[in-house]
Amino acid sequence: MPETILADGTIIHWSPVPAKRKKNSKLLIVGELLVTLGILVGLFAVYEVFVQDEVIAASQTKLAQQFGHEVKKSKKFVDPAKAKTLGQIFGRMYVPRFGSDWTRLVAEGTRWHPVLNEIGVGHYTRSALPGSAGNFAVAAHRGGFGGAFKNIHRLESGDRVYLETNDYWYVYKYLQTKIVDPTDVSVIDSVPFELDGAHVGGKYMTMTSCTPIFVNTQRIIVWLELEKEIPIADGPPAELGLGK
Amino acid sequence: MYSWLWRILPGNKLMKALQSALLVGAILTALYFLVFPWLDALLYSEPTQGI
Repeated sequence: MPETILADGTIIHWSPVPAKRKKNSKLLIVGELLVTLGILVGLFAVYEVFVQDEVIAASQTKLAQQFGHEVKKSKKFVDPAKAKTLGQIFGRMYVPRFGSDWTRLVAEGTRWHPVLNEIGVGHYTRSALPGSAGNFAVAAHRGGFGGAFKNIHRLESGDRVYLETNDYWYVYKYLQTKIVDPTDVSVIDSVPFELDGAHVGGKYMTMTSCTPIFVNTQRIIVWLELEKEIPIADGPPAELGLGK
Repeated sequence: MYSWLWRILPGNKLMKALQSALLVGAILTALYFLVFPWLDALLYSEPTQGI
């Protein structure tokens, strides 16, 4: 056995084979488990932000594309005035600012199931019908669950939102964007007092979603005004590039 | 844990590396197609107010 002689003459014997470090190997396993857990949480975050959103967005888009553009005698959607039940689909929306391939169905009600999570855009039950005087108000998710209104903050002057129903294409033009508290429900009033120049008899549309994206402590509001109504027989507005 | 796994995998280093990659792939697939969707459904419920 090797030995070391200290300055004062003390002799220390030591073993050349290190003692087994059982405690350390246990710690090592705990460390590895913690690192693994960290990686799992990171992977789940990636899933939540990118995968879940994309998968649902694709399924909502596919759902909207199932309805054709040909003018048929049979009606595609429920008549907006008759859509009284949660989840009844009465139209389809196009927003060129969200991308040329962006489209979503619009259904009655603003519940998560079966409207916002599965279909995309929901109509506030007691708000006006599309094209009529008052405020046609809709809601959609911002991030996650297909994030239909993910790019709502990009809407600006000159932008149009198109709503297709059985009988008409409604073209709404952008007016104003506002960020409000979740309690500020007056934004979907028939004549929203925070909308500059709003007057009784105006034909408005309000798009609502959550903001900031993935934080959701406030609401982002976009107001629009009816610009024109095109009979469905005239075909989709040329600027949408959908063909006849 | 991981060093133990590396030891019990048969074959030379290349084989061990291949098998590890396969294992990682299988685990990722199970996570993304089974575990995460299930966890996602558990995690969220509709708020009483808002979107």
